[in-house]
This record gives sequence, C-alpha cells and structure tokens, in this order.
Amino acid sequence: MKQRTPILMAIAGAALLSALWSGPALAMQPDEMLSNPKLEARARAIGKELRCLVCQNESIDDSDADLAHDLRVLVRQRLVAGDNDEQVKQYIVARYGDYVLLKPPFDSETYLLWFGPLILLVGAGTAAAFYFRRAALGGGVPPLSEEEARRLDALLGDGGPRRKED
Amino acid sequence: MIAEIGLFALVLALFVAAVQATIPLMGAQRGDTAWMSLDRPAAFAQFCLVAISFGCLIWLHVTSDFSVLNVVQNSHTDKPLLYKITGVWGNHEGSMMLWTFILVLYGMAVSVFGRDLPPGLRARALAVQGMVGFGFILFILLTSNPFVRVDPAPINGEGLNPLLQDPGLAFHPPFLYLGYVGFSMAFSFAIAALIEGRVDAAWARWVRPWTLVAWCALTLGVAMGSWWSYYTLGWGGYWAWDPVENASLMPWLAGTALLHSSIVAEKRDTLKSWTIFLAIVTFSLSLLGTFLVRSGVLTSVHSFANDPRRGLFILLLLGIVTGGSLILYAVRAPALKGGGLFAPISREGGLLFNNVVLSAAAGTVFLGTLYPLFMDALKLGKVSVGPPYFNIMMVPLMVPMILLMAIGPLLSWKRGALKEALSRLVFAGAATVLTIVVTILIAGPSSRSDWAALAIGLAIWLFAGSLIEWAGRVHLFRRSLAQSFHRALHLPRSAYGMTIGHVGVAFVLIGVAGSLAWRSEYLQVMHPGDTAAIAGYQVKFLGVEDNVRGPNYTASRANFIATKNGRLIADLRPERRQYQNPQQSLSTVAIYTNLVSDLYAVLGDPAANGGSVVHIFHNPLVPWIFFGAIVMVFGGVVSLTDRHHRIGAPLRRLGARIPNAALRPAAPVPAAAPRPSRRLMYLVPLAGFFVLLGFFIWRLYLVEEGFAPNLIPSVMVNHPAPGFDLPALLDGQSGISTAGLRGKVTLVDFFASWCIPCREEHPALPLVTQAGVRLVGISYKDRPEDAKAWLAQFGNPYAAVGVDLYGRTGIDFGVYGVPESYLIDKQGVIRRKWTGPLTPDVIRTELIPLAEKLER
Repeated sequence: MKQRTPILMAIAGAALLSALWSGPALAMQPDEMLSNPKLEARARAIGKELRCLVCQNESIDDSDADLAHDLRVLVRQRLVAGDNDEQVKQYIVARYGDYVLLKPPFDSETYLLWFGPLILLVGAGTAAAFYFRRAALGGGVPPLSEEEARRLDALLGDGGPRRKED
Repeated sequence: MIAEIGLFALVLALFVAAVQATIPLMGAQRGDTAWMSLDRPAAFAQFCLVAISFGCLIWLHVTSDFSVLNVVQNSHTDKPLLYKITGVWGNHEGSMMLWTFILVLYGMAVSVFGRDLPPGLRARALAVQGMVGFGFILFILLTSNPFVRVDPAPINGEGLNPLLQDPGLAFHPPFLYLGYVGFSMAFSFAIAALIEGRVDAAWARWVRPWTLVAWCALTLGVAMGSWWSYYTLGWGGYWAWDPVENASLMPWLAGTALLHSSIVAEKRDTLKSWTIFLAIVTFSLSLLGTFLVRSGVLTSVHSFANDPRRGLFILLLLGIVTGGSLILYAVRAPALKGGGLFAPISREGGLLFNNVVLSAAAGTVFLGTLYPLFMDALKLGKVSVGPPYFNIMMVPLMVPMILLMAIGPLLSWKRGALKEALSRLVFAGAATVLTIVVTILIAGPSSRSDWAALAIGLAIWLFAGSLIEWAGRVHLFRRSLAQSFHRALHLPRSAYGMTIGHVGVAFVLIGVAGSLAWRSEYLQVMHPGDTAAIAGYQVKFLGVEDNVRGPNYTASRANFIATKNGRLIADLRPERRQYQNPQQSLSTVAIYTNLVSDLYAVLGDPAANGGSVVHIFHNPLVPWIFFGAIVMVFGGVVSLTDRHHRIGAPLRRLGARIPNAALRPAAPVPAAAPRPSRRLMYLVPLAGFFVLLGFFIWRLYLVEEGFAPNLIPSVMVNHPAPGFDLPALLDGQSGISTAGLRGKVTLVDFFASWCIPCREEHPALPLVTQAGVRLVGISYKDRPEDAKAWLAQFGNPYAAVGVDLYGRTGIDFGVYGVPESYLIDKQGVIRRKWTGPLTPDVIRTELIPLAEKLER
C-alpha cells in the first residue's frame, strides 16, 4: 500500500509509519489519461473529490494504490459512456457509500458539519455584541458601591452646612 | 552507561519538576519568599537535567549504540551524520524528548529573563510550567522511554525512513515544537494570573513577546512542513488538509487570535478574560494535536505507530491541563472585569473582529477534522471530510477578515471613524479593482482565473492598505520627505512588525490563489530526446543515468534541459532512489524556480517500452507562499525587537508607564458579584471540553476493543448482488453469474494469490462448505495461472471459481481489499459482508448461524 501526501508536520515531522510509506511515486499514470482534454480535466476534478478507500486520507487522484487506479479508470469509462459528473460520483457512491466523498453530502447526519462554522461565527459574533451592549449599558461609569455612596454623601454633607452659612 | 545516565537525569528531572510545581506555588499562596524563590533554581536545574538526558540520547544516536532499542529502530551506521542527529526526533520517543527539552528551555528563559517579574507571578507561572513538565517527563518514563536497552545488541540498526532523511527534519519539528510549546508560556502566565486573581498590564506586557516568539516559531514550523512536503513528495502540492496538518493549523489560528487579543490586553487593559481563555485554548490545541497524532484515534498518513496506552496518558494529561484550567477559569474569570471601554468601530473592535473570525476558523478546522470521528463513534455511519469541505468553509471566513485587515489598523483606539478610514483607502480600492481587471485580462476569462483575480485583488487591497497605514504614520506627502524619513526611523518597531506581517499575508494569499488557478501539468511517457511543452517552457528529456551512488542509496537520475524561446533556463535532475536500510524507494523532485513560478519535475517508473514516466508541473506563484510566510515571521521578529517587547525589559522601568489601575494590590474582588447567568457562561467551555474528553475516552476504548477505524461498512448489504457473469477459472467447472446465485444461500469469497491474508483465511473455508453453505470464489485481479497454481497448492474449497481479471466485479460489490466475503440469501440479496480473513471462530459464531437462518 503506497501512499503519498504531504508530510506536513508529521507532528514530529517525523515518525511516519514507515511500513505504510514508500515515498512519493506517481499516482496518475499516462496510460490512464483520456485523449479528450475536456473529459480528462473533468475526470481529474472528480478524482480529487473521491476518497481512496485503502489509503489514509488521499483522493484517488493522489493515490497510487491499486484500487485508486481502478477507480480512476472507471471514472473515465463512465465519462466516456456519457455520464455527467454527478452520475459518475453516484456510481461510485452506490458501491462504496458516502464515505468515498471527500466533500460529504448535505443531509441530516452532516447538518452540524455544514452549519457548524456558521454557528461558531454567529456565536462568537453574539458574544462580541453582548460585550458592546454591556459596555454601552455600563456607560463607562460603574455604579457607586455602598462605601463610595456613603463617602460621597459625607463629602456633600460637609459642603452643605457651609453653603447654609452663606 | 550513557543510556543509564540519560535515564537517571530524566528521573531526577521528574523530581525537580515535582518540586518546581509545588513549593513555589505554596510559597506564593502563603507569601513565603524563601519558598517562592525556589522557582528559578528549580527551572534551571530542570533544564540542565533534561538537557543532559536529551544530550545522552543524541550521543547514543551519533555513536550508533545499537544496544539501545530506540537507536536500533531508527538508525543505521550508513546514515550521514546530519540524519543521525535529526533522526533522534524522527520517532515518537525522541520527539517527546525534544518536546520536553523545549518546554524546559522556556522555563529556563523565564528564570533568566524574568528577574524583574513580580515574584508571586513568576513563582506561580514557573510552578505551572513545572506541572506540565512533570506530566510530560512522567509520560516519557512510563510509556515512551527512549533509553530501553536490547540484549543481545544487533550488529546494525533498521535505519530511518528515507523520507525523513532530509534537511527538513532538522528544522521542521524543532520549530514546530518551539511554537507549540512556546504557547505554554502564555498558558502558564494565564493560569498564574487566574490563581493570583489579577491580570494587569505588566502581565500582558510579559505575555505578549512570548506569544510572539511562539507564533513566529509555529508559523515558520508550519511553513517549513508545507515546503518540505512540496519539495519532497512529488505531488506538486503543499497543503492537503490532512488531520495532522490540521492539528498544527488549529493552534496556529488560535495563537494568531491570541497574538492580536494580547495587544488589546496590553495597550488598553481590556479583553483580559478573553485573552486568558485564548491562552488556555491555544496550548490545549497544541496538546490535542499531540494526542491525535500519537493515539491512533484518527487515521492520517503521519500517525505514529498506534498505541492506545500512550493515547490514554496524553488524554489524561490533556484532561488535567485543560480541564483544570477551565475549572479555574470558570471560577476566577467572572471576577476579572474592567479595563478600558471601546466602541464597536475602533482599533479594539477590529482586533475583536479578527478574534471572532479566527476563532470560528479554528473551530471549523476542529469540526472538520473530528467530525468523522464523532459520526463513527456515535454509529451514525462513515463520512470523509476532505479538502473540498475546508476550501468551501475557509474562503467566506477569510475574505471579510482580510478586507478588515486593511481597515482595522486605520481606526483609532476607543472610537474610530469608519468613513475617514475608508476615505484613506480609496487608493487601495482603486488598486484592487485595477488588479482584478488586469488579472482577468491577462489570464483570460475562466471561472478559476476569475476567482484567482478576486483573491489577488484582495491581497492588493491588504498590501496597499498596509502601505497607506504606514504612510499615514510617517505623514508621507503631508510633510517634507526629510520629516517623513525622520518619522519613519522613529516609528515603533511593533508598528513595522504589523505592517510587514500583514504584507506577508498578502503574499501568501497571492501564492495560494495563483497556484490553485494556474497550475499546469504534463504527464507522459518520455523517451530520450523527447520534448515536453509546458507553460511556455520546452523541457527536453536527455535520458536516465542508472546506478548513481549516494551515501546510503543508489539512484536513477533523469536529466532534463528546460529552455524558453531557445534560451537555456535550467537543468533538472530528479532521481528515483533505492535505499538499502530500510529497503525503500524514494523519488526526489527537481525544482527550478524564478521566484515567481516553479518548474517541478518528477521521475516515475520505467515504462514498458523503454521510456520513463515523467510528471512535470508548472506551479505559478507557489514560491510566494513560502516567501510570504517568511515575511510574516520577519514581521514578528521585527516586532519582537521593539523596546517594549524586548524580553526581560526591566519592568520596574516600565512601571512608570503602567496604568495606575495595574498597580493596585492583588485580588481586587469587585464589590458586586457577577450575575449568575454570566457565571454560567464561563462554564460553557468547561462543559464542552468534558463532553469532548468523554468522547475521546470512548473512542480509545473502542480502539482498545479491536474496533478498526479503517473498516468501512458496506452499503451493499441488504441490496441485491450486482449483476455479473464471470468465466470459469478451472476447466471442468462452470463460471459464476448473478442468476446462478439464486435458490441457495451462498458465500461469495474474493481472493487472490498475491494476497497474504488470503492464505490465513484459506484453511478455514472448508468449514463453510461442511455446514452446507454453497461457497463460490472470485479470483480478484489475479493472473489465472497464478490463481490455479495457488488453488492447486492450498486446495480448492470452492464449488465454482469466476475470474474477475480487472477487478470490475469487485468494484461492483464494493470490494476494497481482499479477502472479502459476502453472504447472499436465496433471493440473491447480500445479507452480510466480512472484510479481512474469515477465521474459524467467525465462521462458527457468525456466518453459519446466519446462513442457517437465511436457508429456512
């Protein structure tokens, strides 16, 4: 099972499971490609959205696993047979399930996934808005504590009698 | 002996960490200066001991001491010296040592630079640092001891994965860890402040440069990893949204938010409880990344060997560190109030907006990375969340943020004027529109180009906006040039840091947009003398030179000459290397860069007819991504040299400038207790974290129970078997077809002679036929003569065997790895699927009872 994906941080940059890895190789082979460049471009785009089942997180377009090769060929055959992009993907999904879609479908099981970012954004935005509302209500002048009020009264009280004297 | 010294030093370090974690803290709580002052010597001692231990490990690797298991597993005498050293952290145990070493390095830095810190704050912060250190050293000693001996010692080691034999390993992990662990500083000070019950400007002033250090290191670490992946893996890309990449991106996003909120905390003495929260979250995300990668709970190409025991320990650590901090936060944070107020449209408002978006982005990456795990553990099915999802989600988050990055710095503190800021950006707006139009005109209209044009326009907006902000600061064109120059010289370095950092972001954006839109590739079988035309270049293939000897490999080296308009541009020499120890092959990439675009050549396998498969990419603007990252880091470094931020800048001298509020005595508990509803709000993160923790424990338990995360349930179950009609493998037997399955319960078994687990399964298969179940085989992607020989050798339990030469029937069944078997009922409906070898146990307890039920 050969793999190829970015090393990117291997968190220890390192320590990749060496058994799984045998380094970069070419996933796509020239003989798989269609002569019609438009169809081939569509096939590449579809390939990037389908997950290689035996790999760890690669699209079939990026993987040099055997099954990925077979699926790439199949995708091209379906395109030549006249399927549109969605039909090609559904053909694979019918056999392997939603799991093969790197862009998960929008359904009841993925609502949270698709709406999550919006919820997060609105949540964080609301929290910020509350901050401003509180600031506006506070008006920058915190109410006097009992102690402060007493001292103020005392001070005003001191001034009062003198004014009376006038 | 060296190994024992290393281990002994590490054990001593554990005890010192225990002292550092407790005595200074107790001293600070009791006001005992003698106990408090133990913090710095303890940090120093801990640093020395861990350094000795780490040094011993490096020494063992350099001298190839094969009596030590870690060296045996990861080294070989043939390995060049550089990779003997870097190989130390090219494995789980060694990388944890590096992690711990960097942690104590930061602790040491506090003790060196923190002489002028308020003693209570320093004692508490170093105590927290000591607790984290204690946890990690204990983790190494209990689960990941790198000093374990082997007896008898082998003659030589197993060597290091060739992919890691790259200078990238020397820089990427150390910088990444300097970043991850660097956030422990902000974390420790946040916890210290919470314990103390006081967050003041002195606190923020101390935290900010350390956050900056960590942020610079992490940015560099992530960028280096990306670059490493780009120049070694031969796929022409630089970011794949792999879970492990995401694990590094999450702390980066949170850390960037922290960097910005700490500005507000420092300058305006506000957003303090939020800044503390971010400090906790950022470090927790660093720990979470460590957990995810080392526990086996998620599948990634980068994973360390799965070990749930290690996973459990890190999870425990995460639970204590994050759970403990969030409890403390929920208790103390509601009391942290006050500070300067500001209007929504103000510099603070802009920074807050940045925080809102970056937090949402970090949350999105978190959600996308872990969603498949949640689904799986809750038995809701399997989903994959890949690059398309992240691309869709990140764009709408990043666009408004970058739009605002040009505006925010033009707003004044407290209350800004949006109109005035926008009027200063008219020129930037014009430049943006012009860029978009020109880009579309040059690149020609296509949806990809249009998107890229918009993105580049956005980058120009940010670039121009940053320059305008700088021009405004130096009064360019409003005073004489000499005066402007004088002002430019005296601008605070932190202002330059911001400008440069933001310009770096603009570069990265241009690079990403350009590489996504205009990448071209060429993939063909080439023969010597052939020429490939790509993006205006003529790349001539001269041939392959075999048996090129390297230090520990032999290579086939291809030779290409790239020309443009008849002018020689570059020699490109990609290689295909065969390493001996371990036996692995590796392709190296040849890149020619003119700093605007890269020509990128990879040599594939020899083709059948004598040529070679060649993959050439033209990657426009990719160098700008890495250049932009370096510019961002440079901005951070410039900012660090600001007098204000100079680490260890005597706080006493700064004291005069610290607002009076900050110098109030400790624990200014507000007169009015916060409303209970507000208190509840602080419990939300804690509750969320415990749900997450519980989930991870459940998941680890599943892994422990042998639940294989890679098993994909079949969607074919309870569906009619797909249509097929396969020819017979063996003479005298019939082939098999869908129609032939009807009428009797049948087990369809996919097998191949090249499949090792099939050999394991094969002896058990007669049990199936003995139970009266019809057993048919499908020879999957195998040469018929091989399959025949295999059956002749191991026996043929199948009633019939069909030949699926190209694996198409396999795909129709949803086969993804042989052996796989499908139990089909009398009506021809698939009732159950087994992936992997059937064992006698599975056959007796699962297969036969189900078959008998279906037969009735």
